[in-house]
Amino acid sequence: MNGAEAMVKCLEAEGVTKIFGIPGVAIAPFYDALYDAPSIEHILVRQEQAAGHEASGYARVSRKTAVCVTSSGPGATNLITALATAYADSIPIVAITGQVNSALLGRDVFQEADMRGATESFVKYSYLVKNADDIPRIFKEAFYIASTGRKGPVLIDIPCDVQSAELKREFSYPEEVNLRGYKPNTKVNAQQLAKVVTAINKAKKPLICVGGGVILGNGEELVRAFCEKNQIPLVHTMMGMGVLPKAHPLYFGMLGNNGKPYANRAVANSDLLIVVGARIADRAVPKPENLEKQVNIIHIDIDSAEIGKNLGPTIPLVADVRLVFQALLDSDIHLDTSAWLEQLEQIKHSTVDHRKFSDALVNPMTLVQHLSEKMDDDAIYIADVGQNQLWSADNYIMKNGRFLTTGGMGTMGYSIPAAIGAKLVDPSRQVVAVCGDGDFQMSMFELGTIAVNRIPVKILVMRNTYLGLVREHQEKKYHKRYSGVELHKYPHYDKLAEAYDMDYFYADSNETLDGELDRFLACPGACIMVCEIDSANNTN
Amino acid sequence: MKGIFSVLVENKDGVLSGISGLFARRGYNIDSLAVGETERKDVSSMTIVSTGDQRTIDQIEKHLNKKVDVIKVRRLDEPRCVELETMLIKVSYSQTNRSSLIEICSVMGAKIRHVSPKNMVILITDEPDTINEFIELVRSFGILELQRTGVIAMSKG
Repeated sequence: MNGAEAMVKCLEAEGVTKIFGIPGVAIAPFYDALYDAPSIEHILVRQEQAAGHEASGYARVSRKTAVCVTSSGPGATNLITALATAYADSIPIVAITGQVNSALLGRDVFQEADMRGATESFVKYSYLVKNADDIPRIFKEAFYIASTGRKGPVLIDIPCDVQSAELKREFSYPEEVNLRGYKPNTKVNAQQLAKVVTAINKAKKPLICVGGGVILGNGEELVRAFCEKNQIPLVHTMMGMGVLPKAHPLYFGMLGNNGKPYANRAVANSDLLIVVGARIADRAVPKPENLEKQVNIIHIDIDSAEIGKNLGPTIPLVADVRLVFQALLDSDIHLDTSAWLEQLEQIKHSTVDHRKFSDALVNPMTLVQHLSEKMDDDAIYIADVGQNQLWSADNYIMKNGRFLTTGGMGTMGYSIPAAIGAKLVDPSRQVVAVCGDGDFQMSMFELGTIAVNRIPVKILVMRNTYLGLVREHQEKKYHKRYSGVELHKYPHYDKLAEAYDMDYFYADSNETLDGELDRFLACPGACIMVCEIDSANNTN
Repeated sequence: MKGIFSVLVENKDGVLSGISGLFARRGYNIDSLAVGETERKDVSSMTIVSTGDQRTIDQIEKHLNKKVDVIKVRRLDEPRCVELETMLIKVSYSQTNRSSLIEICSVMGAKIRHVSPKNMVILITDEPDTINEFIELVRSFGILELQRTGVIAMSKG
């Protein structure tokens, strides 16, 4: 058995059934071995960044580690943005990159790029494989590191000659890993738990703030049960959307600059904030130093380095979210939050939202509300980046589906490839990518992947002919000196849809919106819908 | 405040650049960094000295711990550890001040490792503060070259 065959065996042992990538000479032995592996379907993408985002979408919906593959040099460097995106959002991915022959490493030969060096700050860990016999151990470790503790991407850079080399030992996939420097703590410290319980019992106005970590840790149900049992209201960051449906009486919206003003007022009025799996980054909490003076804070996270990074002092609890909330559900907590919930209702109804939208063309608020209302109960909504993302996050009506976006890196063009990955997990589940016309053009090459593989994703483009969020910034901060932001009317989306055998829908008014949305959602195949948005619309 | 970290790491390529990269991208200071093998061939020891506020020093410890190739991080308190550094310093001299330079070396426990007609290469191993003092004592003679290894440290007891 050679290294490439061993790589395929490792993927089979990990239960991998789909991988996303583009071959090249430096990864050719692996692709040759893949030819004989019917259980692994390879999705040929049109640019490597998309392979990473497709793996991201696949990982987030399947809740398993996903795999992407590229060749060396530019193929591998094209992947870096996707790795950085996955790293910022803690998405478990194993990225395999081909590399030039080991004897040539360091000589700047054709298509050599130092991938370990280049990705140092964008991956959780990386390997340069030097010996084919190390392949089983390295793959086992890579999948383990990607999927445990705080999840994230792991890179395996593997020279072409190592893929072709024969293994000296018989192939055997390890049962366990032995990493003395990597032992993520998941258990709940009893002393810290006791402090948390005491703080909760003392609170009159407790509030839970959930981030993406709750979803990554599969903690939604337990957190929901805890909220309901103790009648504790909940707010969330953009990445934390989906723990409670919008209609839930304990749901008080998304916080932050782009969130609901009443959610921010809820935080300001609380006396205990329980932060779970959130980074407290600048968009969610612009001034954490003020927050920590106002309220007591409990900070629950799997990553101890998050404690005190942006927010402190706190009662920290570093553990797996499921174990924490199972323990909290079993703890003696007696709270009466009825007065607090009443106050919050008042806050909600007395907070005036000053945001107004133009009713010329399609109102983006109406669009997101009607779209998410009409979508299937368990549908997956993938928001891209820019004004469309903020309108989506602000107006999306969460039922029992998923809301996916890139909250950390804010990578334009994420939604279309991520939708492809998400759809491939379960073709029966409705998947809609919602993007701006700038986003669309950063990933429109993936229409080829969609068409060839007949992946019935739905793409909704909010078209305002501008890089809208930058335009908005220039309007407010630079006195309407619009610089380099106009996209004009291109492309002709109807012709593009036709070019890729996709169905096409179009709305340029609120009157025609609902009917077109119905047809768009009912369409069985891959389709594009364009909604014309007045460029005068801003996010706040 | 000062943070002294004694860090055991896997003795593999890329580990040092990973650690120095962590300091660079998060804006932490490295006052000194010394690396060498330990009694175990597959384990290296790093002593990293940094300065920053309490939160920064705490964060450095946590981020070091997060590194997969970091086996153990120990924070050393100054009075409770042995902290030493070595310096090679080339100092010029003349016939008139030669004996006073030799006297300073003798008092400070420095060794003269090489003598040329116009300069000497002096070796000193001591606590960083003492080395700083030594530099000041010989400055007027004329320092031609200076190299410090960075601190290595070990807890007492």
